[in-house]
Amino acid sequence: MQLFHNITVNHYLVLSAVLFGLGAFGVLFRRNAIIMFMCIELMLNAVNLTLVAFSKMWNHTDGQVFVFFIMVVAAAEVAVGLAILMMLYRNLHTTDTNVLNKLKF
Amino acid sequence: MLSEYIFWFLSFVAVFSAAGMIFSKNPVYSVLSLIVTFFAVAGHYFLLGAQFLAAVHIIVYAGAIMVLFLYVIMMLNLNELEEEKKSLYTKALSFFAGGVLMLVLIAVVRRTEELQLIQPAVYNADLGLTQHLGKVLYKEFLVPFELASVLFLSAMVGAVYLSKKDLA
Amino acid sequence: METAPSLFSLYFPIVLMAVVAIGFVVTTMALTHAFGPKRPTKVKDDTFECGIEVKGNARSPFSVKYFLVAILFVLFDVEVIFMYPWAVNFRELGLFGLIEMFSFMGLMIVGLIYIIRRGALKWD
Repeated sequence: MQLFHNITVNHYLVLSAVLFGLGAFGVLFRRNAIIMFMCIELMLNAVNLTLVAFSKMWNHTDGQVFVFFIMVVAAAEVAVGLAILMMLYRNLHTTDTNVLNKLKF
Repeated sequence: MLSEYIFWFLSFVAVFSAAGMIFSKNPVYSVLSLIVTFFAVAGHYFLLGAQFLAAVHIIVYAGAIMVLFLYVIMMLNLNELEEEKKSLYTKALSFFAGGVLMLVLIAVVRRTEELQLIQPAVYNADLGLTQHLGKVLYKEFLVPFELASVLFLSAMVGAVYLSKKDLA
Repeated sequence: METAPSLFSLYFPIVLMAVVAIGFVVTTMALTHAFGPKRPTKVKDDTFECGIEVKGNARSPFSVKYFLVAILFVLFDVEVIFMYPWAVNFRELGLFGLIEMFSFMGLMIVGLIYIIRRGALKWD
């Protein structure tokens, strides 16, 4: 169904599929923990875009409220994740995940 | 008409800067391209009539989260970045896995028949306005909202506990 | 189907403002580049024209003492975002909304007390 002139909800689904795929590819491709983190943010954003498009499609606010909560989760995740990264860097002086392959050090 | 062109423009910006984020060698450039992607996504929210979310998205992502990423990159000496010795085999595999995932997702959603059948709903101008969103958030989504504060509390405690090493 | 009353008319004032703002910056910068004389010399192109010699890279790691403050800022930033929709609906939600927000803020204040008691905001 059309969201606006000539643009259907499928356009948005394809766009967020591309963004999500790029994010997943980035997590596999890069070995730098910070870049991997940013790719995860990108994937979260792709999902958010889908939810907003569906919210427009059904004319219902729930999708937008979900996006709100996903932002909360993203913020909490970034706060704890970057703190962990800083601790790892202080102890091992690297953010390369090839080195960070042990849980205990 | 106009919104169609804006859609294509924003989509290209988003996809290309996301690719730039992955492929640039310098992490600072990665952060900047990701910020461009976030702005493009915020533009999409505007197009979809979610004005409040677009503003919030810029405030939270471009204003807070990416600044935090920049701080981390500044603190860790990442500019010379003895980048990632990985074999061609690993690279090819990641290309393959990411590409297949993307293709499958696109193939699934490209022509979803059920979506074509849905009747267009009545246009609701204040769908994305702050007031409308607040009514739903504080009446129907009460429990998730309260649980969000628990999540915040645990994130705060976790971040403080991890960062202050002399406390542990 | 016509879903929206033409996007352009809805956002025309914002678009106009953005165009004027960006246009002003771009034209002034283009004009100064076009008319200003350029006579580059070695001394002029230094990072600091006078003062100590430049050594090394601009992007060296530096200790950000307030890193933890920045992390906590992200959390409180998202928390404040929750207050916009609440404030707009304040009258309508009434006492119920007030209690709702107070219990939300209560846990955040518990977190803030923990942060202060732990000395996480001290830079030293």
